[in-house]
Amino acid sequence: METLINDGQYNIAHICTGQQCGAGRADKIAIRWISPTFERTDYSYQSLEKASNRVANLLENLGIRPGERVFTFLPKSPELIFIFLGILKIQAIAGIMFSSFGEDALLDRLGDSGACLLFTRKSYLRKIRSIWPQLPELKKVIVIDLPQDESNTILSYSKLLSQAGETYKVPLTSPETPSVLHYTSGSTGKPKGVQHVHRSILSQAGTFREILNVRDNDIFWCTADPGWVTGVSYGIVGPLSQGVTQIQYGGNFQAEAWFTILQDEKVNVWYSAPTALRMLMQEEADLYRNFDLAHLRDIFSVGEPLNPAVIDWSRQVLHKEIYDTWFQTETGTIMISNHPGLPIRPGSMGKPYQQIEAVILNEMGSVVADMEQGRLCLKAGWPSMFVTYLNRADQYGNKFNNGYYDTGDVAYRDHDGYFWFVGRSDDVINTSGHLVGPFEIESALLELDEVAEVGVIGAPDELMYEKVVAFIRLKPNLAWSRELELKLRLQVSNRVSTNATPQEFRIVDTIPKNKSGKIMRRVLKSWYTGQATGDISTLEE
Amino acid sequence: MDTTMDALTDVFRQVFDNPGISLTSETTANDVDGWDSLSHINLIMAIELRFNITFSQKEVFGFKNVGDMANCIRGKLPHAE
Repeated sequence: METLINDGQYNIAHICTGQQCGAGRADKIAIRWISPTFERTDYSYQSLEKASNRVANLLENLGIRPGERVFTFLPKSPELIFIFLGILKIQAIAGIMFSSFGEDALLDRLGDSGACLLFTRKSYLRKIRSIWPQLPELKKVIVIDLPQDESNTILSYSKLLSQAGETYKVPLTSPETPSVLHYTSGSTGKPKGVQHVHRSILSQAGTFREILNVRDNDIFWCTADPGWVTGVSYGIVGPLSQGVTQIQYGGNFQAEAWFTILQDEKVNVWYSAPTALRMLMQEEADLYRNFDLAHLRDIFSVGEPLNPAVIDWSRQVLHKEIYDTWFQTETGTIMISNHPGLPIRPGSMGKPYQQIEAVILNEMGSVVADMEQGRLCLKAGWPSMFVTYLNRADQYGNKFNNGYYDTGDVAYRDHDGYFWFVGRSDDVINTSGHLVGPFEIESALLELDEVAEVGVIGAPDELMYEKVVAFIRLKPNLAWSRELELKLRLQVSNRVSTNATPQEFRIVDTIPKNKSGKIMRRVLKSWYTGQATGDISTLEE
Repeated sequence: MDTTMDALTDVFRQVFDNPGISLTSETTANDVDGWDSLSHINLIMAIELRFNITFSQKEVFGFKNVGDMANCIRGKLPHAE
């Protein structure tokens, strides 16, 4: 039986490439890349090893040292994976940013992380140029589609690669070596950098095998963007660490395209998100009769609670089960899940993974009785647990109490040990599986001259689970119009991210705040839903 | 001169905050950075305002490329080009 960790080598990128070649998989397809126009390119484990070695050498040639932060701002692409693995090989810290990010989102992440190097492409360079003066630690930008260096600081990827060799000796990497930095939104303040370490490979490989139930010769497809923790743990590390062939698709969501891939690539295990599955549900059932999904064994879902209706739809139309899984950026890998071999209770999160101790605690920190709601907490110490919030050690400490990590989710456990998600205990908005902080959106909207005050909440939505709703108080003598709505929408889309764009605006005379000036989102939510506002004794007069 | 395409190019540049966008009839969402299902809603709203037209639900999600979009817009203008 193959062992994952050999001679104390925990380096994720080595395990995903060189170790696979050493185990006899050099010629096996690691990644089948399908472009938006459906051109296929196969990358063997050996080609992945060489490509990531070249990036590692490129980074060392530039003087990048272990522990330094190197970020990418790229669309999903093979190069993104080569670069990610190359960064990890030299023990630098990899940060992947969504290609949909606007300047504010980029500035927050690059600034907080102190990234010294960024990989991007020509068409994204304009955004970087506009914020670069505020990023003193960002020394160089490497552009993957620039044939020649533009300056001493804007460099050509292909030119640098031509000077980098294909062999690289990965240094012995301890389990506690920092690896990946993911940013996640909170209900207050800027996004926080969630720092993981190389020992996460133990959980990434284990859950990939044991929960997602992927076998050696399976074809696996995770649709998540690598900017998301799922896209790293299960779109890169899980399958590669296990020598499995995976699909990467560069196009946007489109039902027919996705089902063509499932059918033509003979995908056995498919990992996707509830919003995508709900969008598929909206298609005519006839569409699916034209596809042969005989190879597809299991479907898994992550990001938001999976509605029982989606599970029913899949059983009736696709004749497949969908297993819902639950985890967070901070947990790194699946903690609680439905999975093959465990009867599905539609709507539940499932049961904890074998090594995970999940409990429901009350405000006093005591375990509550089954069926009683409380805070979902996890016994600290699983391998993929984050090790800090970068530059925010105090907030990291606040997430732990008596040896338990507080997830911020409210849930309950039933009498048979299944967990059921109820909601968030904070104001973070989960829209289409993306966590969005209201503060980021409010900050962007307040930059506009027309906006006097703004409060943002998440409201229930059938498709996206939650949608972003912005309550706006306009400056005096201004009237609401579609033109103004467009201006506000574009401000959020282009400054923060399209995922953060409010789907609804409500124009109000005042934004409720408490006596310390904090926005009372609870009151905004009750305005939105038409429910009673509850205790408003702290409301500002 | 194709004024519809010129105006459409302006709208795309505004919506995607990218003055370098250049459109042809064959341009699709895969060719424009950031053109996803969410930004498509912004794009539709911006086109409706710019041309003073409205799209049906079917039209909104039925465009195969920019040429399709431009043809649909021309069909809704009072004096077709």
